[in-house]
Amino acid sequence: MSAVAGAPPIAPGVGGTPPAEKHGMSTKRKIGLSVFGVWFGGIVLFVILFGVTAHKAPDVASSAFSPVDEFRLDTWFKAGPVAFNKGVLYLLLTTGITLGVMFYIARRLQQRPGRLQVAVEMFYDLARRMSRENLDQRMERKYFPLIATIFVFILVSNLIGYIPLPVNSGSTFKVFGAHIPSLQIYAADTNVAFPLILALSVFVLFTYEGVKHHGPIGYVKSLMPGGVKGPIVGLIFPIEILSNFLRLISLTVRLWANLLAGHLLIAFMGGELGVLVGLQLVSWVLLPFGVAIFIFEAVLIAGLQAFIFAILTAIYIGGAVESH
Amino acid sequence: MLHALIAATGEPLEYGKAAGRAIALGFGAGGGAAGAGAGIGAVFNASIQSKTRQPELRAEVERDQWLGFALTEATFFYGLVGGFIAFFL
Repeated sequence: MSAVAGAPPIAPGVGGTPPAEKHGMSTKRKIGLSVFGVWFGGIVLFVILFGVTAHKAPDVASSAFSPVDEFRLDTWFKAGPVAFNKGVLYLLLTTGITLGVMFYIARRLQQRPGRLQVAVEMFYDLARRMSRENLDQRMERKYFPLIATIFVFILVSNLIGYIPLPVNSGSTFKVFGAHIPSLQIYAADTNVAFPLILALSVFVLFTYEGVKHHGPIGYVKSLMPGGVKGPIVGLIFPIEILSNFLRLISLTVRLWANLLAGHLLIAFMGGELGVLVGLQLVSWVLLPFGVAIFIFEAVLIAGLQAFIFAILTAIYIGGAVESH
Repeated sequence: MLHALIAATGEPLEYGKAAGRAIALGFGAGGGAAGAGAGIGAVFNASIQSKTRQPELRAEVERDQWLGFALTEATFFYGLVGGFIAFFL
Protein backbone atom coordinates (compact mmCIF):
# COMPACT_ATOMS: atom_id res chain seq x y z
CA MET A 1 0.00 0.00 0.00
CA SER A 2 2.91 2.31 0.75
CA ALA A 3 3.92 1.91 -2.85
CA VAL A 4 0.56 3.21 -4.02
CA ALA A 5 0.47 5.95 -1.42
CA GLY A 6 3.97 7.08 -2.34
CA ALA A 7 3.09 7.20 -6.01
CA PRO A 8 1.62 10.67 -6.67
CA PRO A 9 4.82 12.79 -6.39
CA ILE A 10 6.53 11.14 -9.36
CA ALA A 11 5.51 11.55 -12.94
CA PRO A 12 3.67 8.53 -14.34
CA GLY A 13 5.76 6.22 -16.44
CA VAL A 14 9.02 6.76 -14.56
CA GLY A 15 8.90 3.16 -13.36
CA GLY A 16 11.86 0.91 -12.62
CA THR A 17 14.49 1.56 -9.98
CA PRO A 18 15.20 5.24 -9.57
CA PRO A 19 18.84 6.33 -10.04
CA ALA A 20 20.79 5.91 -6.82
CA GLU A 21 22.79 9.15 -7.22
CA LYS A 22 19.86 11.32 -6.24
CA HIS A 23 20.29 12.95 -2.87
CA GLY A 24 17.65 13.17 -0.18
CA MET A 25 15.95 9.88 -1.04
CA SER A 26 15.46 7.68 1.98
CA THR A 27 15.72 3.92 1.68
CA LYS A 28 12.02 3.61 2.40
CA ARG A 29 11.20 5.87 -0.50
CA LYS A 30 13.49 4.00 -2.84
CA ILE A 31 11.86 0.70 -1.93
CA GLY A 32 8.44 2.24 -2.32
CA LEU A 33 9.27 3.68 -5.71
CA SER A 34 10.79 0.47 -7.00
CA VAL A 35 7.78 -1.57 -5.84
CA PHE A 36 5.49 0.90 -7.58
CA GLY A 37 7.73 0.75 -10.65
CA VAL A 38 7.53 -3.03 -10.79
CA TRP A 39 3.76 -2.87 -10.38
CA PHE A 40 3.34 -0.24 -13.08
CA GLY A 41 5.81 -1.96 -15.40
CA GLY A 42 3.86 -5.18 -14.86
CA ILE A 43 0.67 -3.50 -16.05
CA VAL A 44 2.39 -2.30 -19.23
CA LEU A 45 3.93 -5.72 -19.77
CA PHE A 46 0.59 -7.48 -19.32
CA VAL A 47 -1.12 -5.15 -21.79
CA ILE A 48 1.66 -5.66 -24.36
CA LEU A 49 1.83 -9.44 -23.94
CA PHE A 50 -1.81 -10.38 -23.51
CA GLY A 51 -3.76 -7.33 -24.68
CA VAL A 52 -7.04 -6.39 -23.07
CA THR A 53 -9.29 -9.10 -24.48
CA ALA A 54 -10.72 -11.61 -22.05
CA HIS A 55 -9.74 -15.27 -22.25
CA LYS A 56 -11.92 -17.15 -19.82
CA ALA A 57 -10.75 -20.51 -18.62
CA PRO A 58 -13.13 -23.30 -19.74
CA ASP A 59 -14.21 -24.06 -16.16
CA VAL A 60 -15.07 -20.43 -15.55
CA ALA A 61 -16.90 -19.99 -18.86
CA SER A 62 -19.08 -23.05 -18.17
CA SER A 63 -19.50 -21.81 -14.57
CA ALA A 64 -18.21 -25.11 -13.18
CA PHE A 65 -15.88 -23.02 -11.06
CA SER A 66 -17.47 -21.12 -8.21
CA PRO A 67 -15.57 -18.77 -5.90
CA VAL A 68 -17.30 -20.20 -2.84
CA ASP A 69 -16.12 -23.73 -3.64
CA GLU A 70 -13.06 -23.33 -1.47
CA PHE A 71 -15.24 -22.91 1.61
CA ARG A 72 -17.09 -26.16 1.03
CA LEU A 73 -16.26 -28.84 3.57
CA ASP A 74 -15.15 -32.13 2.02
CA THR A 75 -15.25 -35.07 4.38
CA TRP A 76 -11.76 -36.56 4.57
CA PHE A 77 -12.54 -39.54 6.76
CA LYS A 78 -14.98 -40.53 9.44
CA ALA A 79 -14.04 -41.22 13.03
CA GLY A 80 -17.16 -42.45 14.77
CA PRO A 81 -19.87 -39.80 14.53
CA VAL A 82 -17.35 -37.11 13.57
CA ALA A 83 -16.89 -36.45 9.86
CA PHE A 84 -13.37 -35.13 9.75
CA ASN A 85 -12.91 -32.16 7.42
CA LYS A 86 -10.82 -29.03 7.31
CA GLY A 87 -13.16 -27.16 9.66
CA VAL A 88 -12.57 -29.83 12.29
CA LEU A 89 -8.86 -29.69 11.61
CA TYR A 90 -8.81 -25.95 12.16
CA LEU A 91 -10.86 -26.30 15.32
CA LEU A 92 -8.44 -28.87 16.71
CA LEU A 93 -5.50 -26.68 15.73
CA THR A 94 -7.09 -23.70 17.46
CA THR A 95 -7.80 -25.67 20.62
CA GLY A 96 -4.30 -27.11 20.64
CA ILE A 97 -2.59 -23.75 20.17
CA THR A 98 -4.80 -22.00 22.73
CA LEU A 99 -4.25 -24.63 25.39
CA GLY A 100 -0.59 -25.08 24.55
CA VAL A 101 0.34 -21.40 24.67
CA MET A 102 -1.70 -20.70 27.78
CA PHE A 103 -0.38 -23.67 29.77
CA TYR A 104 3.16 -23.01 28.60
CA ILE A 105 3.01 -19.40 29.79
CA ALA A 106 1.19 -20.25 33.01
CA ARG A 107 3.80 -22.86 33.94
CA ARG A 108 6.79 -20.66 33.48
CA LEU A 109 5.82 -17.13 34.46
CA GLN A 110 8.94 -15.01 34.72
CA GLN A 111 9.89 -11.80 36.44
CA ARG A 112 11.34 -10.51 33.21
CA PRO A 113 8.71 -11.56 30.68
CA GLY A 114 9.56 -12.62 27.16
CA ARG A 115 7.63 -11.50 24.13
CA LEU A 116 5.02 -14.21 24.30
CA GLN A 117 4.42 -13.62 27.99
CA VAL A 118 3.99 -9.88 27.39
CA ALA A 119 1.40 -10.61 24.71
CA VAL A 120 -0.49 -13.08 26.91
CA GLU A 121 -0.42 -10.65 29.83
CA MET A 122 -1.81 -7.96 27.55
CA PHE A 123 -4.72 -10.19 26.56
CA TYR A 124 -5.23 -11.09 30.20
CA ASP A 125 -5.37 -7.43 31.20
CA LEU A 126 -7.77 -6.64 28.38
CA ALA A 127 -10.13 -9.49 29.30
CA ARG A 128 -9.80 -8.54 32.96
CA ARG A 129 -10.74 -4.96 32.28
CA MET A 130 -13.74 -5.74 30.13
CA SER A 131 -15.14 -8.24 32.62
CA ARG A 132 -14.52 -5.93 35.56
CA GLU A 133 -16.27 -3.03 33.91
CA ASN A 134 -19.37 -4.96 32.93
CA LEU A 135 -19.85 -7.46 35.74
CA ASP A 136 -20.10 -7.08 39.48
CA GLN A 137 -17.49 -8.68 41.70
CA ARG A 138 -19.15 -12.02 42.34
CA MET A 139 -20.06 -12.50 38.69
CA GLU A 140 -16.63 -11.44 37.59
CA ARG A 141 -14.96 -14.11 39.69
CA LYS A 142 -17.27 -16.63 38.10
CA TYR A 143 -17.16 -15.51 34.47
CA PHE A 144 -13.76 -13.95 33.93
CA PRO A 145 -12.26 -17.32 32.88
CA LEU A 146 -15.00 -17.81 30.31
CA ILE A 147 -14.63 -14.34 28.83
CA ALA A 148 -10.85 -14.60 28.66
CA THR A 149 -11.12 -18.04 27.07
CA ILE A 150 -13.61 -16.86 24.46
CA PHE A 151 -11.36 -13.93 23.63
CA VAL A 152 -8.19 -15.95 23.20
CA PHE A 153 -9.93 -18.83 21.45
CA ILE A 154 -11.56 -16.65 18.80
CA LEU A 155 -8.38 -14.63 18.41
CA VAL A 156 -6.30 -17.72 17.77
CA SER A 157 -8.95 -19.13 15.47
CA ASN A 158 -9.01 -15.91 13.44
CA LEU A 159 -5.26 -15.55 13.29
CA ILE A 160 -4.43 -19.06 12.11
CA GLY A 161 -6.98 -18.35 9.39
CA TYR A 162 -4.44 -16.07 7.74
CA ILE A 163 -1.68 -18.65 7.49
CA PRO A 164 -1.78 -20.56 4.18
CA LEU A 165 -2.07 -24.27 4.86
CA PRO A 166 -2.45 -27.17 2.42
CA VAL A 167 -6.11 -27.91 3.16
CA ASN A 168 -7.99 -27.23 -0.06
CA SER A 169 -8.69 -30.83 -0.98
CA GLY A 170 -10.96 -29.67 -3.80
CA SER A 171 -7.93 -29.01 -5.96
CA THR A 172 -4.52 -30.62 -5.71
CA PHE A 173 -1.05 -30.18 -7.11
CA LYS A 174 1.73 -32.71 -7.46
CA VAL A 175 4.99 -32.77 -5.55
CA PHE A 176 7.22 -35.75 -6.47
CA GLY A 177 4.18 -37.71 -7.56
CA ALA A 178 2.23 -37.10 -4.33
CA HIS A 179 -1.05 -35.20 -4.52
CA ILE A 180 -0.86 -32.28 -2.11
CA PRO A 181 -4.01 -30.26 -1.41
CA SER A 182 -3.69 -26.66 -2.58
CA LEU A 183 -2.63 -24.02 -0.12
CA GLN A 184 -5.52 -22.04 1.22
CA ILE A 185 -6.28 -19.50 3.87
CA TYR A 186 -9.27 -20.95 5.63
CA ALA A 187 -10.66 -20.17 9.05
CA ALA A 188 -13.06 -22.21 11.13
CA ASP A 189 -15.10 -18.98 11.51
CA THR A 190 -15.96 -18.97 7.83
CA ASN A 191 -18.36 -21.83 8.53
CA VAL A 192 -21.50 -20.63 10.24
CA ALA A 193 -21.58 -23.54 12.68
CA PHE A 194 -18.57 -22.34 14.65
CA PRO A 195 -19.82 -18.86 15.59
CA LEU A 196 -23.35 -20.20 15.97
CA ILE A 197 -22.34 -22.66 18.67
CA LEU A 198 -20.34 -20.01 20.50
CA ALA A 199 -23.23 -17.56 20.31
CA LEU A 200 -25.73 -20.22 21.38
CA SER A 201 -23.72 -21.08 24.46
CA VAL A 202 -23.45 -17.40 25.36
CA PHE A 203 -27.19 -16.95 24.78
CA VAL A 204 -28.09 -19.93 26.94
CA LEU A 205 -25.69 -18.74 29.61
CA PHE A 206 -26.99 -15.22 29.98
CA THR A 207 -30.60 -16.39 29.84
CA TYR A 208 -29.82 -18.90 32.59
CA GLU A 209 -28.14 -16.26 34.72
CA GLY A 210 -31.03 -13.85 34.19
CA VAL A 211 -33.65 -16.44 35.10
CA LYS A 212 -31.64 -17.45 38.14
CA HIS A 213 -31.36 -13.86 39.30
CA HIS A 214 -34.85 -12.54 38.54
CA GLY A 215 -36.95 -15.70 38.37
CA PRO A 216 -38.69 -16.69 35.11
CA ILE A 217 -41.41 -14.02 35.24
CA GLY A 218 -39.06 -11.41 36.57
CA TYR A 219 -36.58 -12.06 33.81
CA VAL A 220 -39.15 -11.47 31.08
CA LYS A 221 -40.19 -8.31 32.91
CA SER A 222 -36.58 -7.20 33.22
CA LEU A 223 -36.25 -7.20 29.44
CA MET A 224 -38.39 -4.07 29.42
CA PRO A 225 -36.51 -0.83 29.79
CA GLY A 226 -37.38 0.94 33.02
CA GLY A 227 -39.96 3.72 33.12
CA VAL A 228 -42.13 2.55 30.23
CA LYS A 229 -45.79 2.70 31.17
CA GLY A 230 -49.22 2.79 29.58
CA PRO A 231 -50.36 1.43 26.22
CA ILE A 232 -46.93 1.83 24.65
CA VAL A 233 -45.89 -1.31 26.58
CA GLY A 234 -47.78 -3.42 24.05
CA LEU A 235 -45.58 -2.01 21.32
CA ILE A 236 -42.24 -1.99 23.11
CA PHE A 237 -42.52 -5.44 24.65
CA PRO A 238 -42.49 -7.51 21.42
CA ILE A 239 -39.61 -5.42 20.11
CA GLU A 240 -37.58 -6.06 23.24
CA ILE A 241 -38.29 -9.79 23.10
CA LEU A 242 -37.32 -9.82 19.44
CA SER A 243 -34.14 -7.86 20.07
CA ASN A 244 -33.22 -10.33 22.76
CA PHE A 245 -33.30 -13.14 20.21
CA LEU A 246 -31.65 -10.98 17.59
CA ARG A 247 -28.62 -10.89 19.86
CA LEU A 248 -28.07 -14.51 18.98
CA ILE A 249 -28.21 -13.80 15.27
CA SER A 250 -26.13 -10.66 15.45
CA LEU A 251 -23.41 -12.37 17.48
CA THR A 252 -23.28 -15.20 14.97
CA VAL A 253 -23.49 -13.23 11.77
CA ARG A 254 -21.04 -10.57 12.88
CA LEU A 255 -18.22 -13.03 13.43
CA TRP A 256 -19.11 -15.36 10.57
CA ALA A 257 -19.76 -12.78 7.87
CA ASN A 258 -16.77 -10.65 8.81
CA LEU A 259 -14.41 -13.54 8.43
CA LEU A 260 -16.10 -15.02 5.37
CA ALA A 261 -16.30 -11.71 3.57
CA GLY A 262 -12.73 -10.93 4.57
CA HIS A 263 -11.45 -14.18 3.15
CA LEU A 264 -13.53 -13.81 -0.01
CA LEU A 265 -12.27 -10.27 -0.47
CA ILE A 266 -8.66 -11.35 -0.06
CA ALA A 267 -9.25 -14.11 -2.58
CA PHE A 268 -10.95 -11.78 -5.08
CA MET A 269 -8.34 -9.06 -4.80
CA GLY A 270 -5.49 -11.53 -4.73
CA GLY A 271 -6.24 -12.85 -8.21
CA GLU A 272 -9.61 -14.58 -8.33
CA LEU A 273 -11.38 -11.63 -9.91
CA GLY A 274 -8.93 -11.80 -12.79
CA VAL A 275 -9.71 -15.49 -13.21
CA LEU A 276 -13.46 -14.85 -13.13
CA VAL A 277 -13.43 -12.11 -15.76
CA GLY A 278 -10.73 -13.94 -17.70
CA LEU A 279 -8.36 -10.99 -17.76
CA GLN A 280 -4.93 -11.60 -16.21
CA LEU A 281 -4.29 -7.86 -16.08
CA VAL A 282 -7.04 -7.42 -13.48
CA SER A 283 -5.31 -9.82 -11.09
CA TRP A 284 -2.07 -7.91 -11.37
CA VAL A 285 -3.68 -4.49 -10.96
CA LEU A 286 -5.60 -5.57 -7.86
CA LEU A 287 -2.73 -7.43 -6.19
CA PRO A 288 -1.55 -4.46 -4.02
CA PHE A 289 -5.10 -4.01 -2.76
CA GLY A 290 -5.21 -7.72 -1.94
CA VAL A 291 -2.07 -7.35 0.14
CA ALA A 292 -3.46 -4.24 1.84
CA ILE A 293 -6.74 -5.97 2.68
CA PHE A 294 -4.87 -9.01 3.95
CA ILE A 295 -2.86 -6.82 6.33
CA PHE A 296 -5.97 -4.90 7.38
CA GLU A 297 -7.85 -8.11 8.12
CA ALA A 298 -5.02 -9.85 9.92
CA VAL A 299 -3.96 -6.88 12.02
CA LEU A 300 -7.25 -5.18 12.83
CA ILE A 301 -10.30 -7.31 12.09
CA ALA A 302 -9.06 -10.58 13.61
CA GLY A 303 -8.35 -8.97 16.97
CA LEU A 304 -11.35 -6.68 16.83
CA GLN A 305 -13.85 -9.47 16.24
CA ALA A 306 -12.46 -11.50 19.13
CA PHE A 307 -12.61 -8.41 21.33
CA ILE A 308 -16.19 -7.62 20.28
CA PHE A 309 -17.41 -11.15 20.91
CA ALA A 310 -15.81 -11.26 24.36
CA ILE A 311 -16.98 -7.81 25.44
CA LEU A 312 -20.53 -8.47 24.22
CA THR A 313 -20.53 -11.70 26.22
CA ALA A 314 -19.57 -9.68 29.28
CA ILE A 315 -22.16 -6.99 28.55
CA TYR A 316 -24.97 -9.51 27.98
CA ILE A 317 -24.20 -11.51 31.10
CA GLY A 318 -23.85 -8.33 33.11
CA GLY A 319 -27.09 -6.94 31.71
CA ALA A 320 -29.04 -10.11 32.49
CA VAL A 321 -28.39 -9.91 36.23
CA GLU A 322 -28.72 -6.15 36.46
CA SER A 323 -31.79 -4.74 38.21
CA HIS A 324 -33.42 -1.74 36.64
CA MET B 1 -25.52 -6.49 -25.98
CA LEU B 2 -27.88 -7.40 -28.80
CA HIS B 3 -27.06 -11.09 -28.40
CA ALA B 4 -28.00 -10.92 -24.75
CA LEU B 5 -31.31 -9.26 -25.62
CA ILE B 6 -32.13 -11.87 -28.22
CA ALA B 7 -31.23 -14.66 -25.83
CA ALA B 8 -33.33 -13.07 -23.10
CA THR B 9 -36.45 -13.10 -25.27
CA GLY B 10 -35.97 -16.86 -25.72
CA GLU B 11 -36.12 -17.74 -22.03
CA PRO B 12 -37.57 -14.77 -20.20
CA LEU B 13 -38.18 -16.63 -16.96
CA GLU B 14 -34.60 -17.84 -16.52
CA TYR B 15 -33.14 -14.50 -17.39
CA GLY B 16 -35.59 -12.70 -15.17
CA LYS B 17 -34.60 -14.89 -12.24
CA ALA B 18 -30.91 -14.31 -12.84
CA ALA B 19 -31.49 -10.58 -13.14
CA GLY B 20 -33.46 -10.55 -9.90
CA ARG B 21 -30.67 -12.37 -8.09
CA ALA B 22 -28.08 -9.98 -9.41
CA ILE B 23 -30.19 -7.01 -8.38
CA ALA B 24 -30.66 -8.48 -4.90
CA LEU B 25 -26.92 -8.97 -4.46
CA GLY B 26 -26.14 -5.51 -5.74
CA PHE B 27 -28.80 -3.91 -3.61
CA GLY B 28 -27.79 -5.81 -0.48
CA ALA B 29 -24.10 -5.11 -0.87
CA GLY B 30 -24.48 -1.54 -2.10
CA GLY B 31 -27.16 -0.47 0.36
CA GLY B 32 -25.35 -2.19 3.19
CA ALA B 33 -22.11 -0.47 2.30
CA ALA B 34 -23.79 2.92 2.08
CA GLY B 35 -25.46 2.57 5.45
CA ALA B 36 -22.42 1.14 7.18
CA GLY B 37 -20.26 3.84 5.62
CA ALA B 38 -22.45 6.59 7.02
CA GLY B 39 -22.50 4.85 10.39
CA ILE B 40 -18.73 4.36 10.58
CA GLY B 41 -18.28 7.98 9.59
CA ALA B 42 -20.52 9.05 12.44
CA VAL B 43 -18.60 6.86 14.89
CA PHE B 44 -15.22 8.31 13.95
CA ASN B 45 -16.64 11.81 13.81
CA ALA B 46 -17.84 11.56 17.38
CA SER B 47 -14.60 9.92 18.47
CA ILE B 48 -12.39 12.63 16.95
CA GLN B 49 -14.53 15.37 18.42
CA SER B 50 -14.48 13.94 21.91
CA LYS B 51 -10.75 13.21 21.71
CA THR B 52 -9.92 16.77 20.72
CA ARG B 53 -12.19 18.15 23.41
CA GLN B 54 -10.97 15.87 26.16
CA PRO B 55 -7.60 14.36 25.24
CA GLU B 56 -7.23 12.87 28.71
CA LEU B 57 -10.04 10.42 27.92
CA ARG B 58 -8.25 9.20 24.81
CA ALA B 59 -7.84 5.56 25.87
CA GLU B 60 -11.45 5.11 26.88
CA VAL B 61 -12.81 6.90 23.85
CA GLU B 62 -10.68 4.78 21.55
CA ARG B 63 -11.88 1.56 23.12
CA ASP B 64 -15.51 2.56 22.67
CA GLN B 65 -14.72 3.81 19.19
CA TRP B 66 -13.49 0.38 18.09
CA LEU B 67 -16.51 -1.24 19.69
CA GLY B 68 -18.79 1.12 17.78
CA PHE B 69 -16.82 0.60 14.59
CA ALA B 70 -17.15 -3.16 14.76
CA LEU B 71 -20.83 -3.08 15.65
CA THR B 72 -21.56 -0.71 12.79
CA GLU B 73 -19.39 -2.51 10.31
CA ALA B 74 -21.32 -5.71 10.97
CA THR B 75 -24.48 -4.15 9.55
CA PHE B 76 -22.78 -4.09 6.16
CA PHE B 77 -22.39 -7.82 6.36
CA TYR B 78 -26.05 -8.33 7.20
CA GLY B 79 -26.90 -6.73 3.88
CA LEU B 80 -24.19 -8.64 2.11
CA VAL B 81 -25.25 -11.98 3.56
CA GLY B 82 -28.85 -11.26 2.58
CA GLY B 83 -27.65 -10.57 -0.94
CA PHE B 84 -25.58 -13.75 -1.02
CA ILE B 85 -28.52 -15.80 0.21
CA ALA B 86 -30.66 -14.37 -2.57
CA PHE B 87 -27.91 -14.86 -5.13
CA PHE B 88 -26.77 -18.39 -4.38
CA LEU B 89 -29.85 -20.06 -2.84
